[in-house]
This record gives sequence, structure tokens and C-alpha cells, in this order.
Amino acid sequence: MTSADATIASKARPLPAWKRLLLSEYLVLILTVVYFAVMMFVVPEIATADTLLDVLSAMMPLLVVAIGQTFVLIVAGIDLSAPSIIAMASVVGASVMTGDAGYANGSGLEVIAGILAFLAVGSVIGLFNGTCVTRFNMPPFIVTLTTMMFFSGAAIWYTTVHTDASSIGNLPRSFIEIGQGRVAGLPLSLAVVLVVAGAAHFILSRTVYGRWLYAVGLNPKAAAVSGVPVRKVIFWAFVISGVCAAISSVLYTGRLETGTPVLGQRILLDVIGAAVIGGVSLFGGKGKILWTIFGVLFLTVIDKSLQLMGLPIASVFAIKGSIILAAAIIDAQRHRLLVSR
Amino acid sequence: MSGFRGKFSLLVLQNAPLLLFAVLVIVFGLMSDRFLTPINFVNIVNQASHIAIIAIGMTFVLLIAGIDLSVGANMYLSAAILGVFLVGMPPLVAFPVVALLGLAFGAVNAFMITQLRVAAFITTLATLFIGRGIALYFSGNKMVPFSKSVLAFGRATYLGVPSAIWVFAIVLIIALVVLKLTTFGRQVYAIGADPDAAAKAGINVKRVVFTVYCICGVCAAVGGLVSGSQVAVASSTFGFQKEFPVIAAAVLGGTSLFGGRGGVLGTVFGAVLIQTVENGLVMTNANPYIYPLVISVIIFIAVFTDSSRTTVLERLERRKIRVEPD
Repeated sequence: MTSADATIASKARPLPAWKRLLLSEYLVLILTVVYFAVMMFVVPEIATADTLLDVLSAMMPLLVVAIGQTFVLIVAGIDLSAPSIIAMASVVGASVMTGDAGYANGSGLEVIAGILAFLAVGSVIGLFNGTCVTRFNMPPFIVTLTTMMFFSGAAIWYTTVHTDASSIGNLPRSFIEIGQGRVAGLPLSLAVVLVVAGAAHFILSRTVYGRWLYAVGLNPKAAAVSGVPVRKVIFWAFVISGVCAAISSVLYTGRLETGTPVLGQRILLDVIGAAVIGGVSLFGGKGKILWTIFGVLFLTVIDKSLQLMGLPIASVFAIKGSIILAAAIIDAQRHRLLVSR
Repeated sequence: MSGFRGKFSLLVLQNAPLLLFAVLVIVFGLMSDRFLTPINFVNIVNQASHIAIIAIGMTFVLLIAGIDLSVGANMYLSAAILGVFLVGMPPLVAFPVVALLGLAFGAVNAFMITQLRVAAFITTLATLFIGRGIALYFSGNKMVPFSKSVLAFGRATYLGVPSAIWVFAIVLIIALVVLKLTTFGRQVYAIGADPDAAAKAGINVKRVVFTVYCICGVCAAVGGLVSGSQVAVASSTFGFQKEFPVIAAAVLGGTSLFGGRGGVLGTVFGAVLIQTVENGLVMTNANPYIYPLVISVIIFIAVFTDSSRTTVLERLERRKIRVEPD
């Protein structure tokens, strides 16, 4: 059947509404809205302005890591090291800025130096991951697994070298504002995230590099034959992921007012889960920033509602797992439907 | 690259994990006189048993190019069931019951993956959360102590060998026989190498994949039992993120994440190697904060040499088959 025939056939017999809904790229957003509407009856507090702002500021750092992860997932890679980058950048950046014997304390430039330290840590680890994957042909899962183990440990070790406490506090006020501040009632971190998301969306949809990413993810051999610099494309995806994790670390650290070596320890599976729920494929070649945003929104709303219901941690785990599974099953059926058409 | 140098570097690369192991043993042996003793060796294997048992199950999954992130949750769930519901039962009855429940856990994963066609990564990620949630619910978010008979089993030795090593040896032998001597074993390798070709050759791919995840579930539960009987209480972080050292052990032993290559003997070697490093660091009184750094560097070196070996092999083979035009 040619594509012209397909169009005619689908015009002649329009899909039933539920199928169209299942195939819509806004499915996750719709599910979130439905979930939210149901929750308004269970926990009415969820619909207050305060809660919504809370959800918004809670999802910002997670969103930035997930955007970075999207780049790596599109080239069929995976970056397990993102949370350890968050932790490492947090303690290194904090050790530069802190009022307790920080390296740049009192220089007047401590906030700028600190933020540069965050970004340096993120890009160096990203460079290392990218080099191992592209130059030494090591599987991304294992490379980033070892960098995750190494830097989670290194972050704790670095903290013990720098201070007797378990975290590095006394950060400059102007830095904390980045994570906590509000402008006209909206979180300041929103501005940071909008810039990152806008840039990422632009790269993916409007640049040659963006098209190369999808080409490499769909079929690296075909891409290489067509002249795409496959290694470079994959390499930069890992660097982007590292830098995004560092930016997310700035937001997290600012929110918590301390550089913490266990920061982000538990968000690894949330990050990958959010991207995949949004519709990004683990096998590469498929993903959009908008989808990732929907996925993160979905997970954050669920987290917040479970928190508001005051459920024990056991139920939170079980419910969250079931929801991830339900979303994955829906996605699998959706894929089957797409293939059968 | 000259022929001799190429072959030499290949020889080194092929035995890199063994060389690494030898170097580590010598270094730790020189640094601590308690390290190179028979008792310490038994100790290392004893401590490595639970990781090795779970990693043997994981090897089956990796051989078909799958992945199971839920093994740590399965461990915790098994330990929680043993400590909360099966208190009065003697270990000889309770352990098979828990192993069967582990099989059921694996079967849930298998059902999602083969029947509903959800990606293994996401399925097992979800069951990780669900399994931990159910286990936390059973345990009431508290420490789960084990009964005296379970602890007695954990401390027992038979013919001078600790019980954990016996369980480990039995699991290893069964796995070896299944992989090397049965049709099922050959089908596992065939599916890992090329699932489409395996299906065309008449292999019931779904059934084999289903069985593989069940095997992994049983191994995870048995690993949880062994570990539980050794540590006496299961805290709420029991088995947390155990999937990572387990996968690392398999990969250290030469099992590929892309399926079709590897085996359980290598996996056991990987698990013992990781435990040797940890034990050596304890024996030499290293700073505990350094442990994860050293272990990750060693896993990295092993995988790095493995990848270089593949590259060198490709280069050598290319030389042989290319006909130089003159």
C-alpha cells in the first residue's frame, strides 16, 4: 500500500476517537490533566496557587536533567551519571562559594566562580563519558554506570575533605536566589529552565545537529554512510547531558541552600522514567523536548498528590511504580497500533 | 602493527581481567599479611556469594540482550516475606517458598516484556518501585529481623564450607549445566546473537525470554535469602541499588550487554573480583570513602580493556582478509 492509498483509506474510514486519542502526542498531557481533575476531589489542596507554584518549582531542576537525558536517549545512549554529576557539581560549586573558607570567598566574584565550577564539573564528566563511548567504543550503560559510582563516592569524599559536616552551607544570598527567588510571583528558576528548554528545542528541531541526532539514533550505519560525523554527534550529546545536569545542580543547590553530596541520589530513575513516559524511546531516534516536559510534569504532579495525601512511603513507591508501568503499557499498545496501520 | 606485537597485545587484552586480578592480589598481599590467607579467601567467596548468585541470573537476562533492574527490589521483597510471614517455618520449607515467590516476581516481569511488549528497562524499573513499595508495606518501614533458624543456617558450615558458598555452588552448577548442555542454553545464546534469525530457525523466542526472566527472579530471591541469613536484619535499604554491582559483576566477567556473548563462570569471576577489592581495601585499612572510587575504577579498566580487545580483534581480522592490490 503506498502512502497515497493510506491517506485515502484513513479518510474513508476515520479512526475511532479513542484510537486518535491514544495516538496523540499530547496523550501524557491529557492523562496529567485527567489525573489532576480526579485528584481535585481527593485532595482539594492540590488546586491552590501555592501548591501549583510548588509543583512548578519542584519540577524545574528535574526538567533540566531530563532535557539533557533526552539528547543522549535520542542517539540510543543512556546517561546514568547525571545524578552523580548533580552531587559532584553541588559540592564543588559550594566549596568555591561558601562563606566558610570557600576558595573564592570574599573575592566579590564568588557567585560567578561558583557557577563556573558547577558547569566545569558537568562538562568535564560529560566529556569523559563522551570520549569513552565514541573513542573507545565502550557501552554507554557501563561507562556512565562507572562514572556514576565514581562521582557519587567522590562527592562524599570531597565533602569530608572540605568540611566536618555532611554538607557545605553558608552560600551567598544572591546564589540562593537563583533556586528560591520569585519574580512577579513566578520562580526565578523558571527563567533558567525556559532558556534551556528553548535552546534545546531549537537545537533539536531547527539545526543540522538536531537532524543528525535523530539520524544517528535511528540507524548509525546509514547515518555514517550519508556523511554524518556519528562519533562527534554522540560525543556532544553526552557533553550536553553533563552541562544540563550541572545547571540542574545549580537550581537544586540554590533551593536547598547547601552543597550536598547525596543530592539527586534518588532521581536517576525518575529522570529516565519521565523522558520515556513522555514518549522518548530508549532505542534512539525518537524524542522531543515537549514530550519530556509532559513526562516530567506527569511525574511531578503524581509525586505532589501522593505527598499531599500523606501516604506512607510504601504506597508512594508502589503507586508510582504502577503508574510508570501503566504509562509504559499504554505506550507499547500505542506503538503496536502505529505499526499495524 | 607488526604481527607479533598485535598478537602479544591481543594476548594481554584477552586475559586482562585475570591479569588485573593477579595484580590486585599481589598488591593487597604485600600491603597486608592477613590478606593472602586461606581463611580470608573463603571469607571473600562467602561475602561474594549473594552478588554472584543474583549475577548468575542476570547473566541469562543479559545473554538475551535484556536487562533486569528489579533484582534489588526482589531481594528485599523476599527477605521481607521471610522475616514477616514465614517466621515459624524451618528454612528448608521457607526457602523454597520464597524462591517460588521470586519466580512469580520474575514471571510478572516476563509477562509484561513478552506479552505486552513493554521494554525490559521500563518494565523492571516499574517493578523495582512496586516491589520495594510492597516490601516496605509488609515490613511497616521497619527493620525486619530473621528467625533463629534462618540465622543458624547463615552461620552454619558443612564440611568446613559456609552454607552461603554451598548455595552459590549449587546455583552455579545448575546454571552451567543449563547453559552449556541443554537445548535451552543454546537457544538463549541464539536469541542473544540474533532474535530474528533465532525465530526463523524455529525457536520459540517468547517462551525462552519468559523463562530467562523467571530464572533471574529465582536467583534474585535466593540471593536475598543468602544475604539476609548473613546480615541478620533487613533494613529498609536492603538490596537498594544492588542491580548495579550485579550488572557490573556480569560485565566484568565478559558478558556483553548486547546479548549473545558471555557466561556464568566469567560472572562468578567478576563477583569475586569486586569482593576481593572491597576485602583488600578493608584489610589495608583504606579510607572507607575511597572504596566506591577504587571499585569503579577497576570496573572501568576491565570494560575498557574488553572494548579495546574488540577493536584490536577487528583490526587484526581486517588485515587477514584484505587483499592488497599491487
